[in-house]
Amino acid sequence: MNLANLTHLHLLLNHFPTVGFLIGLGLFLAAIVGKSENLKRASLVIFFLIALLAIPTYLSGKAAQQAITGRPDVPEALIEMHQDSALLALVFMELTGFVAWLGLWQFRRISRPARWNLTAVFLLSIITFGLMARTAIMGGEIRHPEIRTEGTVGSDTEWLKSASIATFVNTTAWAWPLNETIHFIGLSLVLGVVLVVNLRILGVMKNVSFAALHRLLPWGILGFAVNLITGILFFITIPEQYTQNVALHWKVVLMLIAAANVLYFTLFEEAWALGPGDDAPPTAKVIAASTIFLWIGVIYFGRMMPFIGGSF
Amino acid sequence: MMDFLAWLEQSGFATWVRESNSLLAYPSVLFLHTVGMGCVAGISALVDLRILGCASEVPLTGLRKTLPYMWAGFWLNTVTGIVLFIIDATTKAVSPVFYTKMTFIAMAIGVCLVQRGVFRDPLLDKRPIEMKGKILAFTSILCWVGAITAGRLLAYVGPGVVSSGGR
Repeated sequence: MNLANLTHLHLLLNHFPTVGFLIGLGLFLAAIVGKSENLKRASLVIFFLIALLAIPTYLSGKAAQQAITGRPDVPEALIEMHQDSALLALVFMELTGFVAWLGLWQFRRISRPARWNLTAVFLLSIITFGLMARTAIMGGEIRHPEIRTEGTVGSDTEWLKSASIATFVNTTAWAWPLNETIHFIGLSLVLGVVLVVNLRILGVMKNVSFAALHRLLPWGILGFAVNLITGILFFITIPEQYTQNVALHWKVVLMLIAAANVLYFTLFEEAWALGPGDDAPPTAKVIAASTIFLWIGVIYFGRMMPFIGGSF
Repeated sequence: MMDFLAWLEQSGFATWVRESNSLLAYPSVLFLHTVGMGCVAGISALVDLRILGCASEVPLTGLRKTLPYMWAGFWLNTVTGIVLFIIDATTKAVSPVFYTKMTFIAMAIGVCLVQRGVFRDPLLDKRPIEMKGKILAFTSILCWVGAITAGRLLAYVGPGVVSSGGR
């Protein structure tokens, strides 16, 4: 995809995090008031999926910036602030998505999430919504001078600055190699869990119930979180080599499908009901095989970024 | 010895893997090596975590049936690793980082072989895990982390930094 298409994508995606979190939050409150367990689960699913969608929203934002930069009517400082605000919102959004998934995982395991979990989701989602709305307002002002408020431009209050992070990684000899190493360790953790859990569904170690292996899923999500953090760090450090990298585009697409796939194992009965010795139904096997395939695809396109996309 | 390594490095196959623009050459070898790494280190680490007490509902007698996939990853990486070695043989042969990586892998595989013997016991899940087993499992995780770190550092530290495609 070229810069113009990526900008279109950003303009499409950028509505989802704010609006999606508002819907999630509304459902969540309705669920608490109405004491509906199903509604609670639904809102947790929304938080998780929106947190996933926020990843391409953030990434495509950098392309939109590259497309727009240098125009006289667009203040660079405003874009910079929007970007830093987006990074902070992304951190909290991913944290919310992670805790929300953990709640779904507990729902599956012990039929209700721990009390701390719902409290944490509630607080995190409110903070995230605030940060996201702030990001959205700044984003809107970039191309709409008519709504710019006096004093917004240049009021620099961000503590999580993309530019400082990039400078740090670029000027610290060990930072990039260390980040790569951690990314590879996270990769091993993800692939390990993906293989073990899905191989059970495909028929290896049938004497183990799925419920037992369900305990391993948080380790996979931990690996995913580690790689999300380290991956975004690569991106922030040298965005130029990633924004238009076709291999990264494919990697993100496959990764989002594969990550959303974890809901199949966390929400539905089919896999969960597999006791010791049970054979999984064909749909479960198809999903298990495609999950393995998708993650290997993620590794493939990650590895191909220097060769297809020209990064290093 | 160095003559032999130089001959290997200049052989037609090594030159093709190193210099061809085809995605089937160096990029594919690297990709397969990464997948193999995930299989070996990932599955081995999960078995170790289970021994250390995580996800204790998972019976070890069941988990050991995933070990063939770990070994498949190991053999895949032995083959792709040899290819990655010969295309840069004279440099790798004098790199301390390379020998560090090999040492970590040898130790981790050593632990796997010990575990394989223990896993044959059908009453494995009936008994509590001995301290010895936990120390071995912890050592194994450390060795894999060490092997991955050393592998990554091959592109940054020691001789031949430029040739490895690192930053």
